[in-house]
Amino acid sequence: MITSPVKLWRRQKNTATLIGKKGKILQWTIIRVPAKSFMDQAPYPVVIVKMQNGENMIGQLVDWQKKDLIIGKEVVAVLRRLRTEHADDIIYYNIKFKPL
Amino acid sequence: MTGIVGYGTYVPKYRLKLSEIAQVWGKDTAEIENGLRISEKAVPGFDEDSVTMAVEAAKKAIAMAGINPSSLQSVYFGSESHPYAVNPSSTTLGEYLGIGNNYFAADLEFACKAATAGMQITTGLIDSENIKYGLVVGSDTAQGKPHDALEYTAASAACAYILGNKETESIAKILEMSSFSSDTPDFWRRDGAKYPSHFGRFTGEPAYFTHVIQEGKNLLAKSKLVPKDFDYCVFHMPNGKFPRVVAKKLGFTPEQLAPSLTVDKIGNPYSASSLMGLASVLDSAKPKQKIFFVSYGSGAGSDGFIFETTKEILQKQKKTIPVLKQMEDKIYISYPQYLRQTHTI
Amino acid sequence: MKISILGAHATKFGELWNVSPRALAKEAMENALKASGLKASQIDALFVGNMLSGILGNQANLGSLLVEELGAQVPAFRIEGACASGGLALHNAINSLKAGQYKTVLVLGIEKMTDHSQDEITNALMSAGSDEERLAGATFPGVYALMAQAYMQQYKVSEEDLACVSVKNHYHGTLNPKAQFQFPITIADVMRSAKIADPLKLLDCSPISDGAAAVVITSENIIKKNKKPIRIIASEVATDTLSLHDRKSFTSLSSVVEASTKAYKKAGLNPSDIDVAEIHDCFSISEAIATEDLGFSKKGEGARDIAKGKRTLFKGDIICNPSGGLKACGHPVGATGIKQIVELAEQLRGEAGKRQVEGARIGLAHNVGGSGTIAAIHILQK
Repeated sequence: MITSPVKLWRRQKNTATLIGKKGKILQWTIIRVPAKSFMDQAPYPVVIVKMQNGENMIGQLVDWQKKDLIIGKEVVAVLRRLRTEHADDIIYYNIKFKPL
Repeated sequence: MTGIVGYGTYVPKYRLKLSEIAQVWGKDTAEIENGLRISEKAVPGFDEDSVTMAVEAAKKAIAMAGINPSSLQSVYFGSESHPYAVNPSSTTLGEYLGIGNNYFAADLEFACKAATAGMQITTGLIDSENIKYGLVVGSDTAQGKPHDALEYTAASAACAYILGNKETESIAKILEMSSFSSDTPDFWRRDGAKYPSHFGRFTGEPAYFTHVIQEGKNLLAKSKLVPKDFDYCVFHMPNGKFPRVVAKKLGFTPEQLAPSLTVDKIGNPYSASSLMGLASVLDSAKPKQKIFFVSYGSGAGSDGFIFETTKEILQKQKKTIPVLKQMEDKIYISYPQYLRQTHTI
Repeated sequence: MKISILGAHATKFGELWNVSPRALAKEAMENALKASGLKASQIDALFVGNMLSGILGNQANLGSLLVEELGAQVPAFRIEGACASGGLALHNAINSLKAGQYKTVLVLGIEKMTDHSQDEITNALMSAGSDEERLAGATFPGVYALMAQAYMQQYKVSEEDLACVSVKNHYHGTLNPKAQFQFPITIADVMRSAKIADPLKLLDCSPISDGAAAVVITSENIIKKNKKPIRIIASEVATDTLSLHDRKSFTSLSSVVEASTKAYKKAGLNPSDIDVAEIHDCFSISEAIATEDLGFSKKGEGARDIAKGKRTLFKGDIICNPSGGLKACGHPVGATGIKQIVELAEQLRGEAGKRQVEGARIGLAHNVGGSGTIAAIHILQK
């Protein structure tokens, strides 16, 4: 089991408040050699986002095209599955970012 | 009178052209496209499922309704691709929408009509004054086995509707509702099976057509209305052909049907199919228009509704991203990429 | 109180398939003891720098395990600070001497990585990051890639400039018989290598390695006994946020600036006084930024100065990574911080053979954990 349902449960309230929040890409990279649990998603971009409230967040960029990988690109926080868990694992929902 | 106070839709970004699928299996694209009246279908991102899509749709519905999420007192989630066999999608949705804890909740499964059944339940709760606002969601990441006929149409999308009964908030009142149900095993998926099975042409006449037409007739009889009294008609869309045929058989014109035909551009997102057609109609409807609506779920049953729009619709239409616009925001993917995104390879 | 190095030894670094962690530790400790002229019974305590034994090898209680190999049942401590575990162990060992609790201690850095698969290791190394970074699917190269992107944009530095770090360190590696890679590479080789996390490529990254290194240090006055005493004249540690994204700058590590500023002050030295430095070049970008944070190069000029040869043996002013650094000598993470000290001790004693920095008197070790989350700086003097 790679995900603790307890940890997921504790984070839910905070995760919920982030959905739909907007920000701008501050920096980006494309992960081509990921950790094992992300293997089937690679390559994928990871971005640092300056949120509208001034905080920085780090997250995966989804529904992206090459043209979206620019500093200053506006993005919105969306709820997505974190990774592909084993069938007897809990599904981890987490914040990712989508280009606007 | 109970009605729709807000709705939201979500179409995932990716599209697969039917020609891509046809090419892989050595089929003639023109023949497939003419037969199904579909040219492409919506495909979810690698990390999307019924719950994540439902969150997107429901957030938009809440925004249109202009209510606090905590005002929602019920969540009924219709899908045949609930992420878990056991563990409710409805409460996961409730949690991420931040609606609190005091709400009725259940997951529904009735093939492609699970969410319209949820709409009936919610209407019952409102009419009986148990709740003021209820959320109904139809969301599916539909599965079609590679090289099966379903592969051309099985698509993904989500629709969310908020029902309430405040006169000043409703954009469309529910004038009538009823159902036609039977045990007709035209399409099924056993527990643990990844893909549904179906019995070919048996899904047509005895299944889809019988149920939709019988329920259509029920609605007309109950309301004492005739097809020309309606501005629009909406049917479940397993492909582009069936709703066109059924509309004609019931006496509706192609013009009454056309605004709801989202299937042509996104395929059949199961529980979200007929409700996506309804949303597309509501996107452009004018006040005081009547909508004839019949869903279909294999196994089998049809839920019928008659809606009448109000003057509120004009204001609230401004608060949505129209279905037509969402359908055009897309990235085309290849067949191998489709297999990756649907976790087939 | 003066802290002196009595003996130092590093094992061969590389893919040591046929060597167990115990054997690796034993080899480093025995040889360090031999060089110091002491017996195991004369050691007061053992400090072990190690990052991954728990997460990869399911072995906690590492101190107790390794005193068995030392051959003396002394107090033993395993100290963890990601890739700075070695430097951190040394800092703690020095503090114990300064406190007067012990007089002579052995500090061991060890890591055995090749017993595990590439993705287990990628995963394990990310334990040095934050939950947010892991949930974002970021990897260690990924986090440094974000710094590289920022650095390249801010200072108009090219990927080729960064590649020069690996080219230089591979050249140095050809002169070190203990290095994992003892062959030269070209800028073109780096540019052609597989992308890991844009813009970092395989040859911008340090390898997965096995290795151990040990030093015996003492607070006793040993000038008479030892002909060439090497003193540790500064030992400083500083920390920063666990996550890169929580920092103001992505192109400078404040932990390094803070620890090195304190270290220079303690030693009464300026950056220009340093003759030779062992730099934590886990990635090419790391060395470029480090040479700026340590005051060797102006901000934004670190990579270009390396490209110009200013950090290269036999032609530069401040020689960086004569051992080949993490890139060419190898990076068994917990061992790296101690290997840096072993290399500097050899350099200052004039025993570094073909890679000897002529007339080296003062050396600096720069050991970093996480994405700059922790920095350990040591300054050594002949």
